[in-house]
Amino acid sequence: MPSSTASGCEPAAPARVEVRSGAAGGRPAALCPVMVGTCGYSYSEWIDGGFYPPGTKSAAMLGLYGRAFSVVELNYTWYQMARAESLARMVAAAPSHLRFAAKLTRTMTHERDERWQQQLALYRQGIAPLGERLVAVLVQLPPEFERSVANRTYLAALLDGLEGLPTAVEFRHRSWAVDPVFAELSRRRVTLVTVDAPALPSLFPPLDVVTNPDLFYARFHGRNLEGWRSGNMQKKFNYDYSAEELDAWCAAHMPALSRGAASGIIVFNNHVRAQAPRNGAQMALCLARYSGAGR
Amino acid sequence: MSALFPGTRERAVLHFNVADFAVAVERVADSSLRRRPLLVAPLGAARAVVYDMSEEAYGEGVRKGMPLRRATRLCPGAALLPPRPELYARAMRSFFRELQGYSPLIEAGRVDGHFFVDVTGTHRLHGPAVDIGWRVRRRTRAALGIDPIWTLGSGKVVAKVASRLVKPVGEYIVAPGEEEAFLAPLPVALLPGLATRERQLLEAYSLTTVGALARLSRQQLLVAFGPRCHYLHAVSRGIDDEPLRPAGKGPETLSFQHLFADDSNDRDEVRTRLFALADEAGAALRGRKLVCRRLTLRLGYADGSEASRQALCRTGAAGDLHLRQLAVEALERAWTRRTRLRACTLLCDRLQPRSPQLPLFPECAEGPRRAQRLQGAIDTLRQRYRQGLVGIGRQGLAGGG
Repeated sequence: MPSSTASGCEPAAPARVEVRSGAAGGRPAALCPVMVGTCGYSYSEWIDGGFYPPGTKSAAMLGLYGRAFSVVELNYTWYQMARAESLARMVAAAPSHLRFAAKLTRTMTHERDERWQQQLALYRQGIAPLGERLVAVLVQLPPEFERSVANRTYLAALLDGLEGLPTAVEFRHRSWAVDPVFAELSRRRVTLVTVDAPALPSLFPPLDVVTNPDLFYARFHGRNLEGWRSGNMQKKFNYDYSAEELDAWCAAHMPALSRGAASGIIVFNNHVRAQAPRNGAQMALCLARYSGAGR
Repeated sequence: MSALFPGTRERAVLHFNVADFAVAVERVADSSLRRRPLLVAPLGAARAVVYDMSEEAYGEGVRKGMPLRRATRLCPGAALLPPRPELYARAMRSFFRELQGYSPLIEAGRVDGHFFVDVTGTHRLHGPAVDIGWRVRRRTRAALGIDPIWTLGSGKVVAKVASRLVKPVGEYIVAPGEEEAFLAPLPVALLPGLATRERQLLEAYSLTTVGALARLSRQQLLVAFGPRCHYLHAVSRGIDDEPLRPAGKGPETLSFQHLFADDSNDRDEVRTRLFALADEAGAALRGRKLVCRRLTLRLGYADGSEASRQALCRTGAAGDLHLRQLAVEALERAWTRRTRLRACTLLCDRLQPRSPQLPLFPECAEGPRRAQRLQGAIDTLRQRYRQGLVGIGRQGLAGGG
């Protein structure tokens, strides 16, 4: 099982790397802890893919996952409303170093419900057991969610409702890539998610704008252009980043991200054939190399 | 690590359930029905009972099987429609087609909008099971206009209980390993497959939650529940290895039902209806060159209770007279109360192909051969005209003529 711990990290916190923001540019170093993980952890496919040992039961996966990573993005909270009792059981069984990001339920993003405010109240109750271990609530907005007056109003109300929780917003529509949006997110100390995805003109561009001095959040969806258009999840997220691609990404984005934020999360969503954990481990090594900590 | 057992794979069973299926289908057929409460029940019968009702009517206290008069008093503004089983069967087939692309292991309910789909090991093709559940729901909403509940569990029991929790809409994911903790606080009545007598016993022993039941050992359960202790012991812990029974893959059962428009305890009427069912069953068996070796009669009483008894025939039966004899034998043993009957169902199983072997001594088989010839002639007439045209003594001619 891949595992990496760079110097400057807690010994029990794998894939947590302290990046010197000035390492590439030669500027004074400011330490920025970066937690690396994946989007979801409970995939039977990862047994076949070699990340989990043969015969691993679902109940044992989080413990094994925690040996390799320091953060996990909970994506099942997108499919169903977060339920406090099951999250409490999960947190109790999780390794103590593991931190959580939780995706906002689809009834407030992709399939907006008229009663979204009630849904939000339920969601806040549901994720309460994550407590201090919650590093971000991820608000992923659908591709058709463009920057219209109605959508801006809705997003503002949603972010008001999430106040007090660490929040990150991932746009898919490029119309949101404008300065007033970044300014408003900065005012609210809401993280703008940096996305790595296929280079499609309609998608939100891969920016390294930091809008929250506490946290940057990068999500790697893979660069499978053909799969992205197929509508098939197994094709869409079937991508294996090469070491060169990860190195290049670090060089291009890490200076700005780590300069602007006190900490960061990098997660991989290319779950097919256990490529996400493999790339996550590679990214941790890459960050360690990049920061000079691995030398 | 204790949780590692090489060679075993956790099951992923999705349950789809369209709440108030008949109502949902009727509302797809006529969208104006979405704006008001709806009752589906046979019309024109003095003592008709509710076949299905919308969530609004349910909220007013209407229940399935309730006399229609009472239902309309409880929900006076409801629209009334007669049941259209053919339409519901068509909707089931359409839903089934949506599911077929995801797994060959699909178990369908009896025209009630229920489907279990075993998606174990399909992740390479279709991705995580939760995503299949979500996609199927989105697709059926778009293509069929119905909005199913979907739940995910490691077996049928957990998935079904989860469905009952979120009804009428929603989803519930029970992660593998979470079954016992999920079930423990729930009312024991949510467990599927409990007989009325078992529910009464559970109540008598103050076993109100599944967790309370799970705390008892198999031996303790044996005292009160006999051989059913094994089921209760396993199910209360969320252990459920029962495989799905895809249509056409398991032992086949032919089912024939009559719903009395007015509840009845008139022996002649009940026997007449039963004979009609036996004839229907005979026609179906002969049409497929089959015989059945077991016939089960299930009686549904007006108070909601049920009784069923069986009659066996080692050599197999397919003739009307023979099936009638078996049906009467089962009726004599099943009908032990004065309470009126609401429905009777005839189930033919242990089916096998009719033997083509000729008798060794033809002269001894003259009687049965004559009966066979007569049956063949009746079948020909019925096929050419209609089922009720020719009857056997005392049956009467269904529909007159």
